[in-house]
Amino acid sequence: MKLPVKIEVNHHSYQLEVEPQETLLEVLKNRLKINSLHRGCEEGECGACTVLLDGKPVCSCLIPSPQADGREVLTLEGLNRDGELHPLLEAFIENYAIQCGYCTPGMVMTAYYLINHLTHFSEENIRKGMEGNLCRCTGYIQILKAIQAAKKYKDAGRWW
Amino acid sequence: MVNQVPSGIKTRLNEMKHLVGSRGIPPLEYHRPKELRAALTLMGELQDRCRLIAGGTDIIPAIRKGILSPSFGHMVDLSSIRELDYIKKEEDGIRIGAVTRLSDLEESEMIRKYVPILAEAVGRMGSMQIRNQGTVGGNLANASPAADTAPPLLALGARVLLKSAEGQRVVPLDQFFCGPGKTILVSGEILAEIQIPLPEDQGSFCFFKLGRRNAFTLSVISVATWVKVEKETFQGIRIALGAVAPTPMRGLKTEEYLLGQGVSEKTIDSGAKVITDEVQPISDVRASADYRKDMSYILTRRAIRSCLTPNK
Amino acid sequence: MITRERRILSGKGRFIDDLELPHMAHCVFIGSPYAHARIKRIDVSQAVKKPGVLTILTGEDLVKRAEPLPALSDFSGRPGWHWRAPRIYPLAVEKVRFHGEPVAAIIAETPSLALEAADWIEVEYDPLPPVLDAEEAMKKGAPLVYEEWGDNIQFHTVFNFGDVEKLFQEADRVLKVSWRENRVSGFPLEARGCLAMFDPMEETLNTWGSYQCPFRAQHYLSHVLRLPQTNVRVVASDIGGGFGNKINSWKYTVVGLAAILTGRPVKWHESTREFILTGPHQRDVRWEGEVAIKNDGHILGIKARFIQDLGVEISNRDYSAPSIIAACSSVPNAYRLQGLRVEAYGIVTSKSFYGAYRGFGKDKGAKFMERIMDLVSRECRLDPADLRLKNFIQPHEFPYKHISGLVYDSGNYPALMQEALRAAEVDSWRIKQEELRKKGQYIGIGMAFVVEPAGIAAPNARFSGLVQARVRITPDGLVEAYSDRTEIGQGAERTNTLVLSQILGAKTEEIVIKPVTSDVIGMGPISSRGAVYSVSALARAAKGVKAIIVKYASAFFKDDPANIRLEDGTIYSTKNPENRLTFKELADRFYFRPGPRGLPKEMQLNHETLLDVSSSWYSPNNAQNPTTTYTTFAASADLAVVEVDIETGITRILKYVHVHDAGKIISRETVDGQIYGGIVQGIGEALYEELVYNERGELSTDSYGDFLMPTALDAPNIVIQHLETPSPFTELGTKGMGESPIIGSKAVIISAVEDALSPFHVRISEAPATRERVRRWMRNAPER
Repeated sequence: MKLPVKIEVNHHSYQLEVEPQETLLEVLKNRLKINSLHRGCEEGECGACTVLLDGKPVCSCLIPSPQADGREVLTLEGLNRDGELHPLLEAFIENYAIQCGYCTPGMVMTAYYLINHLTHFSEENIRKGMEGNLCRCTGYIQILKAIQAAKKYKDAGRWW
Repeated sequence: MVNQVPSGIKTRLNEMKHLVGSRGIPPLEYHRPKELRAALTLMGELQDRCRLIAGGTDIIPAIRKGILSPSFGHMVDLSSIRELDYIKKEEDGIRIGAVTRLSDLEESEMIRKYVPILAEAVGRMGSMQIRNQGTVGGNLANASPAADTAPPLLALGARVLLKSAEGQRVVPLDQFFCGPGKTILVSGEILAEIQIPLPEDQGSFCFFKLGRRNAFTLSVISVATWVKVEKETFQGIRIALGAVAPTPMRGLKTEEYLLGQGVSEKTIDSGAKVITDEVQPISDVRASADYRKDMSYILTRRAIRSCLTPNK
Repeated sequence: MITRERRILSGKGRFIDDLELPHMAHCVFIGSPYAHARIKRIDVSQAVKKPGVLTILTGEDLVKRAEPLPALSDFSGRPGWHWRAPRIYPLAVEKVRFHGEPVAAIIAETPSLALEAADWIEVEYDPLPPVLDAEEAMKKGAPLVYEEWGDNIQFHTVFNFGDVEKLFQEADRVLKVSWRENRVSGFPLEARGCLAMFDPMEETLNTWGSYQCPFRAQHYLSHVLRLPQTNVRVVASDIGGGFGNKINSWKYTVVGLAAILTGRPVKWHESTREFILTGPHQRDVRWEGEVAIKNDGHILGIKARFIQDLGVEISNRDYSAPSIIAACSSVPNAYRLQGLRVEAYGIVTSKSFYGAYRGFGKDKGAKFMERIMDLVSRECRLDPADLRLKNFIQPHEFPYKHISGLVYDSGNYPALMQEALRAAEVDSWRIKQEELRKKGQYIGIGMAFVVEPAGIAAPNARFSGLVQARVRITPDGLVEAYSDRTEIGQGAERTNTLVLSQILGAKTEEIVIKPVTSDVIGMGPISSRGAVYSVSALARAAKGVKAIIVKYASAFFKDDPANIRLEDGTIYSTKNPENRLTFKELADRFYFRPGPRGLPKEMQLNHETLLDVSSSWYSPNNAQNPTTTYTTFAASADLAVVEVDIETGITRILKYVHVHDAGKIISRETVDGQIYGGIVQGIGEALYEELVYNERGELSTDSYGDFLMPTALDAPNIVIQHLETPSPFTELGTKGMGESPIIGSKAVIISAVEDALSPFHVRISEAPATRERVRRWMRNAPER
């Protein structure tokens, strides 16, 4: 069964014919070739495939693609502009928050959301917000530092 | 939402001959009604040949893990039914549409104001990603014995509104579950709304969840209590537990024991011990029955005590 | 050049999932639902007709077209060793021996089509009882994993160092100790995978993917697929974590065979579940021992029996057999133990194979020793820090030849320990501990000290001690380096770049670390040997290139070689610093104008006309001391404070201090990152990570939902301090690091939990200390 859907991905509108058994992750990765999206456990237990759907972090592996019809998806590629890395990503690099890099795109989307929306930006709340993004390499500490540094960038106006 | 699936309990299905790691989702017929009436008609027609999906956080993993056979053929997606997505306050209480996302519940000012225990419990479920997708109706209808929305809703005395093409009925939540993954929903019937009577003026709530690590963990046991004390005696008490019985349960014997008793360390302790007679935990990969029984006692006692101390 | 991090964050990652070739097909493995069964019949005739299916391989195809998986270690013929290896193929032949063991591989146009065809494969199994406990497996009458063996013992040997009997006679006391670590593994977030393509032009099987050790994989693939090694090329893609779990390449051989047979490129990327089910498993050891001590706390000798649950084997799918030696020879840890006797058993069971995971084997002996330290401390009522200080190898004794044969290169253990005690403010925590006990709250202060041997070069380990590195200046003036040090997230590219920048004075943007391929000889980043072998070889090669540059510049600037400087991408002489050559200008002369007016005559006559040096490096430690299977010995002291809720068994970490000595540090933040990551992994191992098989032999913990790893809320804040005692053996004084954090953290958390429960006389002899176990230990405690 093929279903027509219209999805906006990283500020581009796509008209696609999807099969309902394809998850949003599969459509984004296999069809649209979104490089940053990483396939993890595909059962919602690791967060490697996290994207922002209408601005909120979700595991793209759990979303049947028809559910994305008429909605907006943002991945890491959508944060960068004109070959310039988003300040959040610069903060990740500056704080050595990337080791193997596999969890990073998902981690970044969650962090982007938290920096924009967490009302009480405490370490505890950041950690809680990140609980759905597993990282096996870093032990989370440099990631936390990166997020805190990025928040400072935002407060200083270096953000988009 | 998934009907009749024993969440967290693995079964070997006849069709699953091989271990393929992550099972694929096979071609399915997919329906995305925008109105409840259309959904109910569809469900009436398709009967057992369809599964409901809202957030997908239970059904997709269940298919991938090989727990749910995807041979049903049709998926009815309820997530577009806006008329089922609401949190509103009526005279007699709070009403929550079944398709309300868990994150909306957690962040809702109304929920935090009137029934904060629900917001607290939901905030401890899964991860932010899961909460942004998962729905309260899905969590209840999936009927895992460990469903975390259930104990607080049971402690709140919640009811559920079930609708079908033929009509509707309201049922107390503690009569909704009938076994692991089993509810009283009949074919063609849907859980449409959760109704929470506004909590009485006095009394306090407490929620505890115990998992195997600090975060993003399925409950080994969860406990929600409501306690109302007048003149140093228990005037009102509800104790609800998850993951220690075939369904989320109320500790009715324990409540009966404590009602009318004077409040003291001794009565709290002996009351909490009664819970160990009521729970029917199993041993599984997460915990042994013994530990669950032990924790029922420990956490019930703590929850009651916590309800009694001036609030956090 | 753009760094790897920047490239990945720009959406230009090259993980296996990103790789594509035209006409690419996909490989999906089908596994056994039984833990132990005879295969009566496999019928793929229906499945192979399904849409999109190219071919389906079974064990029989492997038997016809491939070699059995080679035994990568061979201890047979070693005196005192009972050893054997099975004859097995990557797909099951006649029998399945663990839950999920691959029985067929479907090659189809897409993974979905492969999965749809899967249910049409008919496999008739005759189930057999599995054997799931190592000690049960040793008993007569236990089900046999390999009938032809007659029992389930893959290896048995006794390690005897020093005169243990004499020491036991001299002892004031003999204590009994019991310690067990349950089954665990690393499971980096990206599972295994590769893309293989047979190029008919060059008759070469090319493969790209998550290969932690391309050179070793090349050898393995060439052997199994019956191709000369020169006709196999392995290229590491971006790798989403390794930790040793991607050294094995046995499933990858099937992908290679599929590419050869179909003539199409074939890609495989396994699911997380398959990684957990059929990946390398680790730990799962039991120690029963006796310790001979003096009343003043000196530890004289240890006798122990050690049983390692190998799953189906430790020899063919991975290079892990030397971990047995590592486990036993690491028992002395940081202490002057004079005698050690370990009777070691490796027992096969119906579980996935024994592989490599951060720590490998040397973690086990160290953890056992740290448990002994805590035991002795409590039994003799000695302060645990004083006890360790008393038994330490002292700074002036290095290089220290231990009874195990290992020659420890350098270190200052007392300084590490003292610094940790100070940074953790142990004294004030002890006071707090007393106060809280009165209130019925229990905190514990744990201590662990770990020596991390790095850079394995064992007699029976293939390619042991071999490494190659190549540095050249390209015609357009970039510094190009070839190394065996695969980037798996440990910062290889970054630290290699820094080394080259330091030696050649080159700008980091003008240094290119090429992706690691099998073209370069070396064992790869295992055993923390990157900073030992790979960096040393790279440094040597870079120094070689520098020497050529200096020679040229000395002639060019007409100055003494001693006055030539390489800085900021330029070369100049101190006599006239304004007159500089850039690397590009230098390269220009070498490549485009080498003739009579280009290079100095002397260099022409000596054939020194290329800016290209390939170098090897061998460990002087190993060369001078053949018994030392390891070259450098980093060390760390961990101190942790935990609070244990005795009613629920929940452990909360209140403070964590780690003081570390990894010799000369190239990049502190990179080292810190390795430490944070390793510590958090160890905490997971200490508190909840466990691979559990049910009574039917099915792996119950087959997903991240049940094999629990630490989340951001589970990781504590960690204080790190560094000390540097350079290694006298490596080219830059660096020591291998990255494993002591995972070893020390597991030991220290166990130590701290035990300390918290000490008023109840609870002794912990098993990890993980899950909440349920801690509660059970409390309820069963002698003193309640």
